[in-house]
Amino acid sequence: MFEKKIKSLDKYYSTNIFIKRPDKYREIENISLNADTLITMGSANSYTAASFKKNSLSIMFEKFDRIIDFNKENKTITVEAGMKISDFLNYTLKHKLWIPQIPGYPSITIGGAVASNAHGKSCGFHGSIKNQITKILIFHKNHGWLNLSKNENKEIFELTIGGLGLTGTVVNVEFKLLDFLGYNFTTSIENSTSAKDTVKKINIKEPKEIYSYSWNRADKKNNFGKGFIFKNELNPNHEKKINDEINFETKKIHNFSPLNLWNQFSIRFFHSLYFNYYKNLKSKSFDDSFKNVIFPFIGKEIYFQMFGKKGFIESQILVPFDKTDIFLDEFEYLFNNEMPSITLFTIKKMIGNQNYLRFEDNGICFTFDFINNKKNLLFMDKLDVLCKKYKLLPSIIKDSRLSLETVSTCYENYDNFKDNLINFDKKRTYRSELSDRIGL
Amino acid sequence: MKYLILGASSGLGRDLAYIFAKNSHSLVLLSRDERDLKTLRLDLLNKFKTKIDILMIDASSKDNVNNFLSTNDELFQDLDGILFPIGMMVDNDNVKNTNETNNKIVQANYLSVVEFTNKALKVFEKKNKGTIVGFGTVSASLGRAVNTFYSGSKRALESYFESLSSTFLKSNLKIQFYTLGYLDTNLTFDKKLILPKASTKKLANKVYQNINKENLKRYYPFWWGFICLVIKVTPFFILKKITKFIN
Repeated sequence: MFEKKIKSLDKYYSTNIFIKRPDKYREIENISLNADTLITMGSANSYTAASFKKNSLSIMFEKFDRIIDFNKENKTITVEAGMKISDFLNYTLKHKLWIPQIPGYPSITIGGAVASNAHGKSCGFHGSIKNQITKILIFHKNHGWLNLSKNENKEIFELTIGGLGLTGTVVNVEFKLLDFLGYNFTTSIENSTSAKDTVKKINIKEPKEIYSYSWNRADKKNNFGKGFIFKNELNPNHEKKINDEINFETKKIHNFSPLNLWNQFSIRFFHSLYFNYYKNLKSKSFDDSFKNVIFPFIGKEIYFQMFGKKGFIESQILVPFDKTDIFLDEFEYLFNNEMPSITLFTIKKMIGNQNYLRFEDNGICFTFDFINNKKNLLFMDKLDVLCKKYKLLPSIIKDSRLSLETVSTCYENYDNFKDNLINFDKKRTYRSELSDRIGL
Repeated sequence: MKYLILGASSGLGRDLAYIFAKNSHSLVLLSRDERDLKTLRLDLLNKFKTKIDILMIDASSKDNVNNFLSTNDELFQDLDGILFPIGMMVDNDNVKNTNETNNKIVQANYLSVVEFTNKALKVFEKKNKGTIVGFGTVSASLGRAVNTFYSGSKRALESYFESLSSTFLKSNLKIQFYTLGYLDTNLTFDKKLILPKASTKKLANKVYQNINKENLKRYYPFWWGFICLVIKVTPFFILKKITKFIN
C-alpha cells in the first residue's frame, strides 16, 4: 500500500491516504475484500475530496481504460470506467458519434463523470450524462459483481448515477451515443447588460441545438453581471472531420503558484481586459474548435494555478426558473454589502428531473469561483442560507465546504438517498471525505 | 507477422500487445486471468484491425505449462517471434521460502520461458528465422534479502539468454534481452524507490523498434547499465557494507 499526501483540485482539503492501482480484475476483488473502507479514484480532478478520505484506501482506476464493446449501427459503446473523456471522444468522434454531456476537463474519467452525473455545456439541451447511460457494471465488496440498468438492479442503478462512488467501484459503463453531425462550432457572442438580462437571454427556447453559457463580471458594484453570452452551434458539415486528437496534460491543472495572484486588483484587471477584448476586438461570430468549446480550460490551467496553495472554492447553484429573479436580487444585495472576491461568474441553463443527490433540474445554473479567504467563506455561508431559504441546489461535487445541514435541507431526496444507500450497504464501505462531511 | 506474448494482460506485456497490434501484427496473448485477457482482446479488436487470439495459462504451474505446450503444437508453426514480459513476485520472498513457493517463482520467471523457448526453437530453427525477446531485471545483479528467488530466477534467465545468443550467433535467429530497471507497473506502484520508474509504454515502443535487430542486450533505462557495471566490478565485501549501511 502506498501512502500519499493528496489535495482536492480546489486545494481546500488535503490529507494522507493509501492508494492501490490494480490492473487486473482479480486485484479489484482482492483489494476491495481486504479493505475496511475504500473509494474509487479516477483522475482525482474533482474540485472536492470525492475520491479519497483520511487514512483510507483509494483504488486508482486508471489502468481500466479499455473499450469493451462498440456497435456503430446501434450507436452504443461500453467502456471501462478508468477511461479518460479525451480517449473516449477521440475514439467515438472518429465514427461521428459522441455523448454531449462532457465534463469540463479532458482527463476526467468516465467513472468520475458517472459518479458525479456530469452535465457539461450542453445541459440546457441534452440534460445530464444520466440520459446516455444504459448499463453499469460495479464491484461491491459485499455484493460482488452487479449489473445495473433500468431492467436489472434498477434501484442501485439509480443510486449509482450521481451517487459519488458510494455504491461500489464502477467498472464499466454502456452509453447510448448520439450523432455528431459536424466538425467544429460557430461561436456567436451576445452582449448582456446584467445577470438578469443574461438569464432572460439564456432561457429562450432555441429552435436548434445550441449550447449557451455566459461570462459575467463580478469585480465591481456598478458593473455586476455585465458580460457576454456565448452560443456554440455545430457546423453541420458531415464530410469534414475533427482534425486534432484531444491532448491533455493532467499535471498542469494540479500545479499551483507559490503565492495567490488573485486579489481585487488582479480580478478587476483581468475582468476589464477580458470584457474589453470581447467587446471591442473579438468578432461577434467566429469558428471555434471542438477542443476550445468543450474543454475551455485546456491551455488556461494558469487560471487555477494563480490561486496559490490555498486554492479556491467553487459554488455552483441550480435555481428553478421562477426563483432566479429573487435569487439574483438577494445575491446582488449581499455582493454589494460584502464585496467578495469572485474570479469567475458564469450562467447556463439546465434541464432534467431532480432525484437523490444529483445536481440536475429545470433551472438556471450559476457558477462562482471564490478565492479561499475568510471574507469569502463568510460570504459563502450567507449563500448557504440563501440556498436553504429558497430550496436551491448547491452542487455537492463542486463546493468543498458544504455541510450536512445545507445538503440535507436543499436536497429533498437526501434522506431517501441515504436510506437506500444504507439499505444496500449496511456497513457503508465506500466512503470519501465528501461523503463523511455530508453525513452519508 | 505473428507474435506470441507470454504475460500479456498487464504492465509491459499489455503495452507490447498494443504496440504490436497497432502495427497490424497478429498476436497470441497468454496470461493467467481469462477476464483480463478477454477485455484486452476486445479493446485491441475495437481499436486495431488485426487478429488476436487469447489463451489461458498459469506459468507458475509446471503441469499447466507442460500440458499447454503438448496440446498447442500448431500455435508455434506460424509464429515469427515470441516475447516474455512475464514476471511473478510474491510477498515475503526470501531465503526462508517454502519449496512450493520457490518452485512457483522459478517456474514462472525462468523455467516457463525456457520451456516455451525450447518449443519455439524447433520451429524457428527449421525456418531459420524468428525472434525471441526476454526481460530480466537489475535486481538480479546482486543476491538480496528480499525478492530472493525472483531475482535469482531472473539471473538464471539472463544467463540462459546469453547462452541462447552464443548458440545462435551465426544463424538468422534474433535473440534479444532487456535488463529492466524500475518500471511503472502495479508491482512497483506502491513502492518508494530511490530512482525514477520508467514508462512501460516507452519501453514497449523501444522493443518494437528493435524487433528486427540482430542479437541484442540492453538496459532500460540505459543508465542502469552503468549502475550494474559498478555493482559487478565492486568487490562483494564492499557491496555488503554498502547494503548494510543502506538498510
